[in-house]
Amino acid sequence: MTGGYTGKILRIDLTTKAVSTLDTAKYEEYGGGHGMGSAIFWDLCKDKTIKAFDPGNVLTIMTSPLSGTLAPAVAGRTEVQGIGAQGYPVEWFTRSNFGGRFSGHMKYAGWDGIVIEGKSDKPVWVDVRDDKVEIVSADGIWGLDTTEAQEEIWRRVQGSHEGDWNALGSGRDGGRTTQRPAVLTMGRAGETMSRMASLLHDSGNGAGQGAFGAVFGSKNLKAISVLGTGGVTIADPKALMDARMWSMQYAVAGHEKDFIPAGIGSMFAGNPGSGAKAYGPSDQPGVPMGCLGCHKDCRVRWKSGASNGSSCVDYFFYNSYDAAKHGGKQTQAILDSTEMIQRAGLNSYQMEGAILWLNALYKLGIAGPGKKIDTDLPFDQLGESSFVKALVDKIENKKDIGADLHEGLALCAVKWGRYAEDTKTGILPLQTWNYPQHYDARTEVEWGYGSLVGERDINEHDFNTLVFWSPSIAALSGAKPPITAEELSAIMAEKLSPYNDPMMMDYSDAGIYSEAMAKLVAWHRHYTRYYKQSLAFCDWAWSDLYNQYGPKGRGMTGEGEPKFFNAVTGKKLTFNEGMEIGRKIWNLDRAIWILQGRDREMEVFTDYNYDTGAIPGFSTYEAPYVMPVNENGVWSYKSVAGRKLDRQKVEDWKTLFFKLEGWDVKTGWPTRKTLSELGLDHVADELESKKKLGS
Amino acid sequence: MTDKEPKQVTRREFVTSVGGVGVGAVLGGVFLKGFLLPDQVLAVPASEGYLLVDTKKCAGCSSCMLACSLVHTGETNLSTSRIQIVNDPFVAFPNGVTQEQCRQCPFPACVEACPTGAMHVDTANGNVRTVDPAKCIGCERCIGACPFSPARVQWNSEEKHAQKCDLCADAPFWSDKGGVGGKQACVEVCPMHAIAFTKNVPLQNGDAGYQVNLRKGSVVWKAIGMPDGDNGEYASTPG
Repeated sequence: MTGGYTGKILRIDLTTKAVSTLDTAKYEEYGGGHGMGSAIFWDLCKDKTIKAFDPGNVLTIMTSPLSGTLAPAVAGRTEVQGIGAQGYPVEWFTRSNFGGRFSGHMKYAGWDGIVIEGKSDKPVWVDVRDDKVEIVSADGIWGLDTTEAQEEIWRRVQGSHEGDWNALGSGRDGGRTTQRPAVLTMGRAGETMSRMASLLHDSGNGAGQGAFGAVFGSKNLKAISVLGTGGVTIADPKALMDARMWSMQYAVAGHEKDFIPAGIGSMFAGNPGSGAKAYGPSDQPGVPMGCLGCHKDCRVRWKSGASNGSSCVDYFFYNSYDAAKHGGKQTQAILDSTEMIQRAGLNSYQMEGAILWLNALYKLGIAGPGKKIDTDLPFDQLGESSFVKALVDKIENKKDIGADLHEGLALCAVKWGRYAEDTKTGILPLQTWNYPQHYDARTEVEWGYGSLVGERDINEHDFNTLVFWSPSIAALSGAKPPITAEELSAIMAEKLSPYNDPMMMDYSDAGIYSEAMAKLVAWHRHYTRYYKQSLAFCDWAWSDLYNQYGPKGRGMTGEGEPKFFNAVTGKKLTFNEGMEIGRKIWNLDRAIWILQGRDREMEVFTDYNYDTGAIPGFSTYEAPYVMPVNENGVWSYKSVAGRKLDRQKVEDWKTLFFKLEGWDVKTGWPTRKTLSELGLDHVADELESKKKLGS
Repeated sequence: MTDKEPKQVTRREFVTSVGGVGVGAVLGGVFLKGFLLPDQVLAVPASEGYLLVDTKKCAGCSSCMLACSLVHTGETNLSTSRIQIVNDPFVAFPNGVTQEQCRQCPFPACVEACPTGAMHVDTANGNVRTVDPAKCIGCERCIGACPFSPARVQWNSEEKHAQKCDLCADAPFWSDKGGVGGKQACVEVCPMHAIAFTKNVPLQNGDAGYQVNLRKGSVVWKAIGMPDGDNGEYASTPG
């Protein structure tokens, strides 16, 4: 028996209003999610050099075969792809994803994904109820914020059945549900096509990076609503239930009586509510909130109701200003500020970069009333929600400096004539491609390199908590890290198959330019492309490399991912086979970027990464940079704060990486040999026809 | 069978003997294990197990619904879950989530309404109120009779019969033993431990007997800084 797939993908052309289907089987070799999305984009977007707002842009919104199932921290995530409006200097084909329950309802309605093409002549929303699909006028919905739009669609779909059984069909044959439809929408920022615009679903589930909210806006598409009453077929139900209960031994839920409070290190074993609780007022009651089928439930529903379900950078963009303004304590201001950007549908990473930059310009006397950058933004209210309210209003309505910020940080800086200078000093910390620095490329290089040879801030925490947060917090507090650097390298040598090189954990001044670091970045690119972005294992739980509850600190990765995939689908995938599919998807993405204009020369960090040291607190994270290093054959954790990247050594590292990937070291383009061994001959043919095949 | 042992009643016995009695007997929170009619026929044997929930602990992830449908039907399907979680993510704590579990009513209106005996008290499995699909004619009277909203009896549109919580007595797609003497999938899978099983008959007056505080005394709950008071307040110091 096979399971996991519904067998069909919904295809909607907003120009012609045609609704059709694609057979999932054609794309099943890619697993689901991102892999399928890339392959569909390759097939349907004939001219891949078009811009994000071109009606020819193809948007894919994909599930995984594990969507809507009981696989932990997988069931609710949805992958979004297309040509994004955020990338600079090229609007790259890119991705984002979001949690909640949207992907589950796509499955329950009978769809493995949704493909959006064309552009509607008038604002519309798409209403999917099981197999019935309608393109509906957005009158009465266009103009609403992300919360209001969802609530209005709920009312229209549920009618008088809110909180009760709602029959989607007629009589005894019709499916019934108590659930609200799952709605993906954008706010005012998307309607005005801001390159900071995100997509929102339920409360706090955002696809921010890539500005897909603006792509929705360009297509006159306000929202997609999905409500399903069917189920997901499971090949081996007992195996799935057994696997779920097995995985609980790696989670807080399985350790009520022997709970280890200091959970940092393993994302899977993280605390319920840990993505939000520390960012809000400590005395405000709440309860953890979880995505569909989650084992961890990392977000929070607050007593004030403001910013329910938001997490991490949704707060981090502003929480330090709140604390600074209010005696070191988080207040209602951060919850209200987060609520505002979520309702507007603004990308919190871009907002984080914007506030950091604007505040620096204000302190330098460059921005402010009557200054060179003339603005009435109330800098004296920084830390209050009123400051964010004013900034949001300016951006989404293109007023004051918001008219320029609306186009994203890079284009704004270019227009103000500040891009070169401010990315050299680092007061505008755009690490790569108009993506604000998330983790520091100079210290946690796997993050920076991955973003550089990709198309966006990778936002993949597989190593981050282990190599940065855990040792750095231990150093700050004087405590011992949960494992030594040597133990960490040993675990990684076991887990990071097929490379299995302990030196992959060496973040020393020499190690960051080594072949082992090239292997680490390659493993990361291949793992995440398949397991996290195609099968939809959540970044806030997977991979599970070190786990404080696991045998000898070992997490589930290697065993866990195929265990869940095989139980659901009935296939017999091995972990390394999945890694190879990830490599295939990674190469397919690379080919699309090359058709868009990518070559080796473009892949350089902004100047501050080479010219200034990584100083704690200078850009985003107020912590030292203590990381695992191997010096003279000895492992230890050591501060690498203050480090700059060496331009030539980064170039040498790129050569090592390109060789490892089987790409032309002069151009960074995949060769026919590499593409052919991955079953991508048709991609090689296309690159060759455009004279962009590596040699 | 001795006189004291519970006996499954027939539909006719049930309706004629109990229909107008209004059983649901509560005596200071202690429910009689059986209700003996004058002719010594046990009319409504009490269920030997109940699900309790804590809506102030529920994260709304619906893992319970996925597990319920999985172990009963072999697929994950929110519509065929015997427990329903209804979530409005925009609503402020302590509201926004409801956990709609079958109460295994002492006076089961669903059983009374069934004209064929499909909906019955299963004396072989701890007196859970459950459905024999082979006898169900699809009249849906049981669904209409359930006094709660949403009804705790569901219409299974794929298999065309009514269904309801049986405390996992009949969970063919689960390796573990279910039922009142075994485990319940929703209880086992809930990551918040916001569902509990009890053999004690809950207080039948209002919701309080079924919606309880499962947070008090939890080491994890206190460590993660969540409120443990009955009304969602901090009864003890946070963190």
